[in-house]
Amino acid sequence: MKRSISFELFRYAAILAAMGVTLVPILWMVSMAFKPIGEWSATGADLTWWPKQPTLANFQFVFGHSTNDLIVALDHTAVKPILSSLLSAVFGTVIAMSAGTAAGYGLSRFGSGQNLPLALIQLRLFPPMAVMIPVMIMWAFLNLNDTWWGLALIYGIVTLPFAFWLMKTFFDDMPREIEEAALVEGCSRLRVFTRITLPMMRAPLASAALFVFILNWSDYLIALLLTTREWVTIPVYMASLSSSMTGQLYGAKAALGLIAAVPPVIMGIAIQRHLVRGLTFGALKQ
Amino acid sequence: MSAATATISEDKMDARTKSVAPDEGTRLGFRLTLPAQILVLFISAFPLLMQLYISVTDWSPLSGVGWWNAWEMWNSFANYTDLAADTRFWSALQRTAIVMLVCVPAEFLLGLALATLFADDFPGKRIFYSILLMPMMVVPAVAGYMFFMLFQSGGPVNDILSRIVGAPVTVAWLSDPNLALIAVMIADIWQWTPLMFLILLAGLVGVPEDQMKAATLLGANAWQRFVTIVLPKMKTIIIIALAIRVIENFKIFDTLYIMTGGGPGVATETISVYIYKVTTQDLIWGYVAAIALAILIVLSIVAVYAMKRMAKAREVQA
Repeated sequence: MKRSISFELFRYAAILAAMGVTLVPILWMVSMAFKPIGEWSATGADLTWWPKQPTLANFQFVFGHSTNDLIVALDHTAVKPILSSLLSAVFGTVIAMSAGTAAGYGLSRFGSGQNLPLALIQLRLFPPMAVMIPVMIMWAFLNLNDTWWGLALIYGIVTLPFAFWLMKTFFDDMPREIEEAALVEGCSRLRVFTRITLPMMRAPLASAALFVFILNWSDYLIALLLTTREWVTIPVYMASLSSSMTGQLYGAKAALGLIAAVPPVIMGIAIQRHLVRGLTFGALKQ
Repeated sequence: MSAATATISEDKMDARTKSVAPDEGTRLGFRLTLPAQILVLFISAFPLLMQLYISVTDWSPLSGVGWWNAWEMWNSFANYTDLAADTRFWSALQRTAIVMLVCVPAEFLLGLALATLFADDFPGKRIFYSILLMPMMVVPAVAGYMFFMLFQSGGPVNDILSRIVGAPVTVAWLSDPNLALIAVMIADIWQWTPLMFLILLAGLVGVPEDQMKAATLLGANAWQRFVTIVLPKMKTIIIIALAIRVIENFKIFDTLYIMTGGGPGVATETISVYIYKVTTQDLIWGYVAAIALAILIVLSIVAVYAMKRMAKAREVQA
């Protein structure tokens, strides 16, 4: 449809305004991550939107190389929290994707597990805070508290609904002729699934896995309740980072925030095409 | 629906392949769904019973007895009667409702407005689209920290306001009870408007072009086309988008807790923050279990009702 010039002008003006609102918070954090300590809480006329003297000191600080500007020493550095976030999110994704893909195929092809769609949506509906008491007790009993594998297990369960629904709708959409042909050739159904269907579904599998990874990586509340010291994740570590001497360690926290924010943003852009399907439990496709 | 098609094609396959045992698919299907079933059972049945059991006691992790011995601290449903009289709980619930009633409609309207701007092609569409989606991919806790910095009294928000007003503005956003709630809602709207935009745009693109053209020829203006053609076509998608945001917004915790910790006082204490505080500070887990169960029951009823409505809507559409 042909649009008038005034509409086009209005459109660009509105989009630019939205871009401004979108980007200001992000840019402020990026800028803060490179500011030296003297500029962290500069106010009034001294407030700068871009660091006057850009520095990597904040990153060096969170990785334990204390610099002259920052006279505080850290209990422990960001290395282990990053490792904890990575391990728990990756293995949580492995758990959710394995169980979710198998179950999605089972339901899509053989009609097994009819209770799963509703049960899994209900699982997603409940606030995690309302089921954490038994989880905390069980995790303590199983010695899973404050470990990355304990986190991975709960992440795997919490994101199972997304893995299951995404993969189920992908399997539903997949043409069945090839599978049927292989069955005629005498392949067993399990072999068809592992040797033909799964390799064909490599791209959707990768998208679903990235989607689930982003969700796991983004968690704060569960890690806050289940980890205390050894295996805290990046957000928990970031939130705990302040000292009585310097107050809020703005720059250091911003540096950590940047480290936490970059992977999901890149992955999210990579799987943009599947975001709608993922977020609506497969109800909508783009 | 999908189950029906699955069984039909399965019958076809079995008819063609005599070598395959008729129940091979059923057995494999059972085995494939088993891990997911175990995980669901592991996180629902046992925890639910445990929660039910603890909720009728005064048990706390500091009480010196294991949770299985909590019956020694049986308090004859006092937790539930306490809950009914717990003003902090009810005001947290009320606050959660206020946040939801402000944020979800705001996100919906802003998202819909953006989506209509993106309905047809224009130069730069892809790059604008990618950038506008970024907030929803930022880790919520990090987004909370971004807004914590923005709303400091000497921070950038006040800086921008000062430039507009022309005089120094030093509003203490996060330590004023009313402003803190507004700041928290702004953060939520910033982060989740992109989700509405994304979903509604997907629905908007599905509206048939020829109907729009026909309506234009018949003399309908943009608003009339929007109300009579676009909105009815998008009904299901709008319901889904709103349902997702209502569900997620009810859980609001990460951004809010990083920004204000529920404070000042209890000014931004939503239901999740309230439960978190009772869990970690007051440590009365018997009471927490009662609150949690009450919420779970109410939500389950709402969920079953909503699912039935949605299934009906889908049937009508199909």
